Amino acid sequence: MSTKEQQERIELLQGTLDLLILRTLQLGPLHGHAIAKAIEFRSDEVLQVEQGSLYPALHRLIKRNWISVEAGTSENNRRAKFYALTAKGRKQLSVETNKWEKLAAAIAQVLKPARQEER
Amino acid sequence: MTRRKKMLQQLDNDIREHIEHETQDNIDRGMTPEEAHYAALRKFGNVARVKEQTHEVWMITWLEQLWQDVRFGVRALRRSPSLTVAAVLAIALGVGINVGIFSVLNGLALRLLPIPRANEILSVNQVLRFRGKGLRYINNNSGYFSWSEYRDYRDHNHVFSGVAAYQPYVEATLAGSNPRSILGAAASCNYFDVLQESPALGRGFGADDCAAAGANAVVVVSDAMWRNQLGADRALIGKAIVLNRVHYTVIGIARPGFTGTEPIPSAFWVPVTMSAVLEPDEKRLANDNMSWLAMLGRLRPQVSPEQVRADLDVIAQRINQQYSGRTTSLSIHTARYLSSPEERQFLIPVSSVILAAFGLVLLIACANVTNLLLARASVRQKEIALRLSLGAGRGRLVRQLLTESLLLSMAGGILGSIIACWSFMRLTGFITSHLPGDFPPISINATPDLHVLFYALLLTFCTGIAFGLVPALQSTRPNLNSSMHGDGAAVGGKRRRRFLLKALVGAQVAVCMVLLMAAGLLLRGLYYAQTVDPGFEIKGVATTLLNLSHQGYDAPRATQFMTRYVEGLSAIPGVTDVARAECAPLAHDFSGDHFTLQGSSEQIPIEYNHVTPSYFSLTGIPIVRGRNFTAAETHDASGVIVTESTARRLWPGQDPLGQTLRETSGHVRTVIGIARDAQVAHLGDSTSNYLYYPFGPEDNARSYVLVRYAASFNDVSNGMRTAALSIDPNLSVDVTRLEDYLEVWRAPSRLVAWLSSTLGGLALLLCSIGVYGMVSYSVSRSVREIGIRLALGADKGAVVRLVLWQSMRPVLIGGIVGIVLCAAVSSVLSSMMFGVGAHDPIAFVAVPCFLLGVALLATLIPARRAMDVDPAVALRCE
Repeated sequence: MSTKEQQERIELLQGTLDLLILRTLQLGPLHGHAIAKAIEFRSDEVLQVEQGSLYPALHRLIKRNWISVEAGTSENNRRAKFYALTAKGRKQLSVETNKWEKLAAAIAQVLKPARQEER
Repeated sequence: MTRRKKMLQQLDNDIREHIEHETQDNIDRGMTPEEAHYAALRKFGNVARVKEQTHEVWMITWLEQLWQDVRFGVRALRRSPSLTVAAVLAIALGVGINVGIFSVLNGLALRLLPIPRANEILSVNQVLRFRGKGLRYINNNSGYFSWSEYRDYRDHNHVFSGVAAYQPYVEATLAGSNPRSILGAAASCNYFDVLQESPALGRGFGADDCAAAGANAVVVVSDAMWRNQLGADRALIGKAIVLNRVHYTVIGIARPGFTGTEPIPSAFWVPVTMSAVLEPDEKRLANDNMSWLAMLGRLRPQVSPEQVRADLDVIAQRINQQYSGRTTSLSIHTARYLSSPEERQFLIPVSSVILAAFGLVLLIACANVTNLLLARASVRQKEIALRLSLGAGRGRLVRQLLTESLLLSMAGGILGSIIACWSFMRLTGFITSHLPGDFPPISINATPDLHVLFYALLLTFCTGIAFGLVPALQSTRPNLNSSMHGDGAAVGGKRRRRFLLKALVGAQVAVCMVLLMAAGLLLRGLYYAQTVDPGFEIKGVATTLLNLSHQGYDAPRATQFMTRYVEGLSAIPGVTDVARAECAPLAHDFSGDHFTLQGSSEQIPIEYNHVTPSYFSLTGIPIVRGRNFTAAETHDASGVIVTESTARRLWPGQDPLGQTLRETSGHVRTVIGIARDAQVAHLGDSTSNYLYYPFGPEDNARSYVLVRYAASFNDVSNGMRTAALSIDPNLSVDVTRLEDYLEVWRAPSRLVAWLSSTLGGLALLLCSIGVYGMVSYSVSRSVREIGIRLALGADKGAVVRLVLWQSMRPVLIGGIVGIVLCAAVSSVLSSMMFGVGAHDPIAFVAVPCFLLGVALLATLIPARRAMDVDPAVALRCE
C-alpha cells in the first residue's frame, strides 16, 4: 500500500503545478517562458517555480488533452510554441479550483485552533 | 507512438528558447551576458533531468502498465493452476504440431542451400513458350538449360561473379566386389568455385578439367560415399574408381555437410564434359535444344534483383532469335531446394493443404481454451465488475485480460515449439530412412532456424489473441449492477455467454468433422490402393532394369548380351515366360510424345512403351482386336497397338484399325491392334492415352526384363542374377517383384493417411474435451433449474433428455456444417491423392456417425450428473 500513498502525494504536488498552469492559460495562449514568468509575477514572486519542471507538466497536460500546442511568434519576434487551454482543460480547471478551495479551507479550519492554543 | 515522437522532437529547441528568453530578461535587468546566462540556467534547473522526466511522461504508461499486467497475469494464472496447466497443454499441442510440420516444410523448401554465403546464390530457370509448333527436348526439368545456353549466360552476363551448371541425378554403376548404382551430378568446372565449396581433401574442378568433351576422367566424391563405399581411405586422392566401366581419378572428397544442391544427396561429381562418356547414347552436350542443366549464379555485390533480370533477359532474347516463335521468361530466385517453378507449382498447393490441416487442429485447441476462459470469466465476474465500477477503463481491462492470455499462449507456444523441434527432427530422420527401397534418400534438414522461430512466434501471438479476445470482450461487458449482486440474476449476460459456448463447440465439431472426413477419405483411398486390381497380372512376375549403356556397353555389345541373356533366362527352371519393355508396368518410368491425327493439327499427348510380343501374354493384357507384334518387327515397323480407351477417344464411332498417327518427328504410324485397358503407367488410371511400339535393338541399351515364374521368387531371382553374371561378372543386377512397384505408389498414400489419421485423432480428442467441458459447465450452472424441475415432479429421464438435447444441438449443427465444408474440400483432396474418391459414401456415412457417437458419449457422462441433482440441496445452496 505504501506505493499507492506515495503516488498520491506525487499526484498532489504535480496537480498543484498543473492547476497553476491551467489557471495561467485561462487568460490566453502563452509560450513556456511566459507561463513561468506569469506564475512568478501573479504570486508576487512567492512561488519560485523551478522553470524546468514546467516542461514535464506541460507534456502531461498535453497528453491528457487539457491543453493544446500551436506554433507562433513571441513578443520579441522569435519562433515559439504557444500553449492554449482546451475545452476539456477549462472544465478540469474549474474542477481542480473547486477541489483546491475546499482543501485549503479544510486545512485552514484544522489549523486555526492550533494557533489560538499557542497564544 | 507518432504523437509521442512529434511532441518530443522539438523539446531540445523549446528548452533552448526558454533559456535564451530568460537570459534576455536577465540582461534587461542589467546583468552581463555571461552572468545572465548562468542565472537563467540556475533558474531552469537540471536540463537533462527535465528532458528525462518529459520523456517519461510519454513513456511511463504503456511500459509500466504492461509490466503491471504481466505481474498481475502471472498471479492470476497461478491462482488457478489446473486451468493454467490445461490451457498450456492444449496450446502446446496445437502450436507444437504446427511448428513441427512447418520446420519440415521449411527444411524442404525455405532453407537456403548448405553452402557458404548461400544468400548470394540465385537459381535461374526458364519457361519456354512457343507460338504455334515448337520442339524442346527435356531431361528432368523443363526449366533447365542446354549446354550452349548455359555458356551464353555464363559468358555474357554482368551481374554474377560466376555461373555454374549441373545435371542432377546422374545414375552410374560403381564397380567393385558388389557393383551398385549411385546417384551423382555432372557439373560445370566452376561448380565448386561458384559455390565456394572447397573439398575437405584434395581439390575441386579446375578450368582445364572441362577443356575437351570426354577427355578428363576426374571425380569428386561425397563424404558419405567416401566413408560408406570407399573405406574412408585418406590416400584415395589420385587413385581411380570405376563408374560405368570408365576409370575416374579421384581428385577431391567433399566437405561432410555438402551433399550437392538438390534435396537428394549427390554421391559424386564429374565434369559436365564427361557426360558424353558417362552416358554415351545421349548426345546432350551437342544438343542446343535440350533442357538438362540446372543453373546457379553467385550475385556480385550491390547488384539488385531488377538488374539481374534485365541483364539476363537480354541474353534470353538473343537466344530466342535462333528459334522461330519462341519466347523465354526467366524465373530467378534465391537458390533453395525445390526452387524451380515446376517444383513450386506442386509444392505450394500441397504444403498449403498440409499447413491448413494442422492449423485446424490448433483452431480446435484454441476453442477449447476459449471455453475454459469463458467458464472462468463467470467466476471472475465479481472481480471484474468491481474494477469496472471503481473506474477502470474497459480498454485497459481488455488489455489486461489479453496480456493474461498472451502469457498462456507464450508458455504453451514455447513448450510446444521446443518439444516439436526436438521430436520432428528425429521423426523426419526416421521417416526418410525408412522409406521403401525404391524411394530416393531425401535429406530434409528440419532443425529450427529463424523462419521456424518467426513462424512459432507469429502462431503463438495469433493463438493468444484468438482464444483471448472473445472472453476478454465478453467478460468486460459493462453490466455492473447485476453482476455485483453476485449470482445468476444477470440472465441476459448469461444467455449470451452460453450461446458463445455453444457456438464454439459447434465450430469445433465442424472443424473436427472436416479433419476426420479427410482422414476417412484418405484411409479409404489407401484401402483402395492396397486392394486395387491394376488390370493386368502383377503377381508372379520378377523384373530387373538393365541399363547397359551406363555399364559401359555400346550398341552391338548390348544386343549381343541381351540375346544371350534372354536365352539364359528361358533355361532357368520355373520360368514360364520372358518379355522385355522400355518401361515396366508401374515402374514410375514414363515416355510420351505428341501426335497428330490425319486431317487435324491438334497435338495429342500420348504415353507410350516399346514392348516385345510376349509382353502382352506375360502381363495378361489381351489384344482384343487386330494382331500382336511379330518378333521381326522393330522400330522401323510402322504398326502400333493402342489401348481401347485411346481408340475410343481418338476415333469415336470409327474402326480404329488402319487409322494413322503422326509423331512430332514426322513418322506416320498405323494402328494394327487394340489392347485392353490396364493401369500400366499410372496406378488408378487405365483410360488415359497409351500406345505400344514394337521393341527394337535400340532398346537393348536400357530395358526392363520381365520374367513370369511358377517357382519361388528367391530361386528365380538368384537364377536371373547368375545368368547375367555368367555373361558379364561386373554387371550390377537388381531383381525385384513387379508387385513391389505398387509399394512406391502406395507409400505416399500411406504416409498421408497415417498423418491425417493422427491429426484427426488429435482433433477428436480435443473436440470431445470441448463438448465434455461445455456440458459439465452448463449442467453445473443450471443446477438450480434442474432442482426446480425435479421438485415440481419432472422425472429424471426427462431432465437428462433435456440436457442431452440442448447439448447435442450445437454438435449436430456443427457436424452438418462440417460435412458441407468437407464435400467442398474433398474434390481438392481427390485430385491430389491416388485412389481418393471425392464423394466416397462409406467415409461420408461412417465418419459422421463415429463423431456423433463420441460426442454423445462426451455429453452423456456429465449429463448423468444432472440426474444426481438432489432438489433439496440444489435449492438450498443458491
